[in-house]
Order: sequence, then structure tokens, then C-alpha cells
Amino acid sequence: MTPHIRIDGLTVAYDKPLAAGAFVAVANLSLDVSRGTFVTIVGPSGCGKSSVLLAVDGLTKPVAGRVLVNGQPVSGPGRDRAMVFQEFALMPWRTVVENVRFGLELQRWTGEDLTARALRYVRLVGLQGFEHYRPHQLSGGMRQRVGIARALAVDPEILLLDEPFGALDAQTRESMGDELLKIWEQDKKTALFVTHSIDEAIFLGDTVVIMGKSPGRIVETIPIDLPRPRTIDVMDTAAFVEYRRRIRHHLAGEIPAHA
Amino acid sequence: MRSRALVSTVSVALFLVAWEIAPRLRLVDPFFTSQPSRVLVASVDVIRSGTLMHDATVSLSEFAVGFALALLIGVPVGLMLGTFPTLRHLLDPPLMAVYATPQLALLPIFVLWLGIGMASKIAVVFIGASIPIIVNSMAGVRQVERPLVLAARSFCATRRDVFLKVMLPASLPAVMIGIRLGLSRAVLGVVVAEMYVSQEGVGNQIMRLGSAFRVDHLLVYVLLVSAFGLGATTAARKLEERMAR
Amino acid sequence: MTHLKPILLGVLSFTVILLAWEAAVRAGWLNPFFTSQPTAIAAALAREARSGELARSTSVSLREFGAGFGLAIVVGLSLGVVAGWFRTVEYALDPFIWFIYSAPLIAFYPLFVLWLGLGTHTVIAISFLLSVTPITVNTAAGIRTLSPTLLLAARSFGARPHDVLWKVALPASVPMMVAGLRLGVGRALTGVVIAELFVPSGGLGSSIAYNAGLLRTTNMLASLMVIVVLGVICTQGLTAIEARFDSWRTGPGL
Repeated sequence: MTPHIRIDGLTVAYDKPLAAGAFVAVANLSLDVSRGTFVTIVGPSGCGKSSVLLAVDGLTKPVAGRVLVNGQPVSGPGRDRAMVFQEFALMPWRTVVENVRFGLELQRWTGEDLTARALRYVRLVGLQGFEHYRPHQLSGGMRQRVGIARALAVDPEILLLDEPFGALDAQTRESMGDELLKIWEQDKKTALFVTHSIDEAIFLGDTVVIMGKSPGRIVETIPIDLPRPRTIDVMDTAAFVEYRRRIRHHLAGEIPAHA
Repeated sequence: MRSRALVSTVSVALFLVAWEIAPRLRLVDPFFTSQPSRVLVASVDVIRSGTLMHDATVSLSEFAVGFALALLIGVPVGLMLGTFPTLRHLLDPPLMAVYATPQLALLPIFVLWLGIGMASKIAVVFIGASIPIIVNSMAGVRQVERPLVLAARSFCATRRDVFLKVMLPASLPAVMIGIRLGLSRAVLGVVVAEMYVSQEGVGNQIMRLGSAFRVDHLLVYVLLVSAFGLGATTAARKLEERMAR
Repeated sequence: MTHLKPILLGVLSFTVILLAWEAAVRAGWLNPFFTSQPTAIAAALAREARSGELARSTSVSLREFGAGFGLAIVVGLSLGVVAGWFRTVEYALDPFIWFIYSAPLIAFYPLFVLWLGLGTHTVIAISFLLSVTPITVNTAAGIRTLSPTLLLAARSFGARPHDVLWKVALPASVPMMVAGLRLGVGRALTGVVIAELFVPSGGLGSSIAYNAGLLRTTNMLASLMVIVVLGVICTQGLTAIEARFDSWRTGPGL
């Protein structure tokens, strides 16, 4: 069966503004993602995890290699993929419901009332009552829920989340992760979730992809065999602890790539 | 902690009282300083005579036309300069040179080109106001946060979408600042230009009254102009605050 | 290499403008009576430099600028510190500062002439009044927006009010003060030039007005060029100084 996403020999590089040459963020990375799986990508800062996401979303052009979605090469952003950003990236002059509508407007959705659709997703992420608030009036967690609603509203096949909880405090992160899973369980979209928190990666993912840096590449891929639906308590189980140990060792470089 | 309004009001009141009393106590010569009472009497006189209406209309029209032109041309130019880096790098140096210069130094040149009538005044207002509008609009576009543009693009925004739905609204606060700064330069421009050379207008009247040593009437006009300047800037500031989130 | 690009484009830009200007005049598209031409202006400047006239008018303007701006610095900084430290003073001064900032001060010109005569003093007064406001407002803002954490830290080490003022508040406000100075320098120069259009004090502005009366466009533009250069030097100079102090800036100010 064709994987939903196929990343094939992806190399992403950026120009260095004041020097010659380029900075290679990701080198020759290959990864297959099956439909309906929640894949988390974990790695140290600077290992290129965000670049992988940007390449899948069509927002950066790879220097080499390609990304295929449903067998078709990705050449730019599309209605089949939607992204949630670490810094929320909400339009400060729009209210919550207007922000959720944003993607629908840009993608020129017709045939239904955009505001009504947006309101449904506002409710889905638990922000009913805050429809007409502006981002600066919301807490970090609430702002990110708007970001998630905005991405879900365009009904993408693939959800891309770039350290969405990175700007939140530890408590909020945990509860947001829990809520995200509950929302995800409802239609099980294919998801690529980037994080630098090992716990988050294990808790959320069906598969954890460990990346290393300089250059960015995949060090190891670990399937997570924990039953779904998952609750926070799963973090106390022996299996979880063992996954955590393995991943931490990989990240610290103590166990070679394919031991 | 005294309330702000209270202290400010008391302060102004004390000033007015001192201004009124000092000449009576022979501390200053009222010929040089006038007094609130004399200014009030003179203002009645000014209002009754028809010249204020006429002068004010002339000055206001010069101001309005010049400022409207500055808005219509300045905002789009500033936004465009912010969007296209090459254009900006080309035009930035002369723009900054003009911004750093007292634009009113160009006044005699405008008079040379456009004569002593309303045209030269409109030109001064236009140049004075458009430069801050252009510079600030340009800055406004440039400081739009990258994540916002990226987010729009991730939802398949076209270049036009990005400009209309992200750049434009995001730059609005900066554009407003430019408009506020432009407003005060515009008021200054009209007054100075009319004072320099003109046949009518508030500035012209100020010079006439000045050379005739009619200090009381002079102060009425001066205070009127100041009030207008204050009013315009306050209105702009309020608008700016309402637009800020 | 990429960061040289703006500078190169800038130089290119000016060169193109000057060349186009000169060419347009020689081709007959522009009337030199109205616009003059770069070569004529350069010649006029050279002449004025040789005869000492350039030095004289520039020094008059610079002296007036120095006096006006200098006075503004002294008064502005002191008033600003006091206003920033004592709320009541700030509230009391507020309407006056606001008035001087927003009202077109040049309208008071006839009064200044009446009080100070038709000479350098009037120019200095106008320059002073125009530049003192941003300095005062920004200094006060700098003192007032002193971070409560810094204050707490100082007090935990036993600082008394005057220690706080000298060792914490003042140093912390330097970025804002410098920002105020940058805003003030432009306004001080503007004040000098505008006032000189009216007052024959012998400065650059007076020279423009004088030549305007004689319809000598070239000489007018020559003086204007000097003013532009001065303006750019002042603004760029202070922006550079401001950048050095920006790292610990606190409040918004003006």
C-alpha cells in the first residue's frame, strides 16, 4: 500500500547570510508514514525537525530529494495538509472565530457558511464563550487551541504540528497533549508532530522518530506499542519508562543507531 | 497619589492666574506679555470681524488638500517600498536624506516653483506629511512577523492574499503612527509657509499682527493655531490607540 | 558580501539621481532657473568655500544649533529626571510639555522677535523649545519605567532613595535618554533652519531666504545641500550612539 507520506532522500539547506556556503539542515532523510498514524519526531535543537515539516507542507523547497503525498510529489502548500505553529501565528487583529476562518477564506471554501463551520471547530477545541476574544486576551494554551482549530477547520488529510506546545508551561503542555489526543481520536488523521520532549513524543505517538543533528538525519525509529486511547496515567507504566530510557540513550548517543 | 487630571488642571490654572496678575503687579509689561483677560477681549473682536473665517478657510483648505495627497500617495508608496526589497534599497538613501532634513528648508524653493499662492503651501504640507507616512508605512510592512506570513502560505495563500490579508492589517498600527507624525508636520508646514510669504491665511495674519505689535490679537490667532495642532494630534493619537490591540 | 548590497545600491541611487538631473538640464528638459544643476551647485559650493562664506554661514547655524540643543539637553535632562522621579511634577508639567510639542511653535515667532529681538537669540529660543520636549518626555519615561525587579534588587542590597536614583534609575534610563536626544537633534536643526528663514542671522537658512529673494536658485540649493548633509550626519550619528545603548532599553516613550 502506498504510504500516505513518503519522504525520499530529503535534503534541506539554507543560505548563510554573511558567509559563503549553505547550512545543511537535513541530509538525505527518508521516512514513510502510513495513513492514520500519529508520528512524533524528537531530537535536539537544530537537528532540522522543523525543516522536515516545512518541506512536507511545501513551504521550503528541498535541495535534493522529494516528498510524496498519496504518491504525488509536493510542490507547494495544499488543502490536504495543514500546519500548527509553535509561535501560534494567529493574526492579532482577528478574533478567535475570525482566526479559525482564516484558512477557509484563503482556500476559498464555498458551499457552506464559513463562520458556522469555524464556530464548530471553536467548540471542538473547547473555546466556546471566547469566540469574539482577540489573541492578546487569551492564555498561551488557548491561543494554541485556536491554532489547532484553524488547522482542523480546513479538513486536511495530514496534520503537521511544529512543537505546538513549545511555548507553553509544563502543566499546560500535559493537558494540551491529552486534549489533542482526544480530538485526534475522533477521526485519526495522519499526523506529524515535532517536539523536543521525549515524554510528549512517546505519549502521543504510534511511532517515534529520533533525529540527530549535524547534519539532520534519522537516528532511529521506535514503534510505540501502548494501547489507545491513552490517558496521562500511561506515563507511569513500566513500558513507558522503558521507551523513555531507550530514547534518551539514543539521543545521548550511547546506543549506536542499530544495536 | 494626586490624580493626574487634578494636578494638571491646577498647574494650568496657576499659570493663568500668574499670567493675569504679574502685569497688574508691575512684574512684567503687559505690552510684551498680554494677559488672559486682554486675550479674551481680543478674541471676541477677532470673531466678530470677518477675517478669521476667511483666513481659517484658506489655511484649512491648504492643509486638507496637502494632507489628503500625502495619504493617497504616501501610504501606498510606503507599503510598496516595504514589500519590495530592491525598490527599497534603491529609494531608501534619498528618502532617509529627505527625512533627516528640515523639510521646511524647501519652502523657498517651493515658492520659487509654485508662487506665493495656495499651491506652494499645499506642496509644503504634502512633503512634510508624506515623508513620515512613507517611512513609517515602510517600517510597518517590514516588521510583520514571519510566522504570520508562513501561516498564511501554509493555508495556500496567494501573494495577493498575503498582502491583503496579512501585510496590510499587520502594518496598520505603524501606518497610523506615520499619519500622526505627518499630521503635526502638516500643521507646522501650513503655518510656516503662510508666515513666510502669502497674501492670506492664518500664518499671514499672524505676521501682520506681529509687525503691528498687536500682541493681544496675535495671541488669539497663535492660540487658535496651537489648539488646532493639539486637536489634530490628539485625534490621531486616539485613533491610533483604538486601532492597537 | 550581501550586507554591502544596501550601501552599494545607496551610492548607486544618489549617483543615478545626480546624473539624471544634470543630463535633464543639459538636454533642455529641466529649466535650470527652477532646478539648477549639480555641476552649478558644486561650483557655487566651491566658490563659497573659498571665499569663506560657506564656513561663516555654517558656523553661525552650528553655533545656534549648539546653543539651542545644548540648552535643551541641560533643561530637558534635568526636568526629565525630576518629572520621572516625582509623579506630581510630571503631572504638573504635562500640559505645558504637550502644548510645546504639539503646537506649531513657529506661530510664536513674532512674539519671540518682540521679546528677544530679530537675531540669533530668537533662533536659539525656537531651536531650544522644539528640541527640549522629546528629551524631557523620553528621559521622564526612562526614569519612570524603571523595572520593579531592578528596584527590588537594589533595595535588597540596602540602597536608599538617592542611591537608587544615581546608581540604578539614571544608568537604566540612558537608552531612553539617548533616544530622546536623537529625536531632539533633528528638531533642533529644524528649528534653527526654519527660524533662520525669517531671521537674518547669517546662517544657512538666512542664506536660503536671501538668495530666494534674488531668485538665485543655485545658491539656494547649495545652502540646502549643506543643511541636508548636516541633517544626515546628526541623525545617523545619534542613531549609531543610540544603537550602542539600546540593549538595556526599557520603555516606549516617544
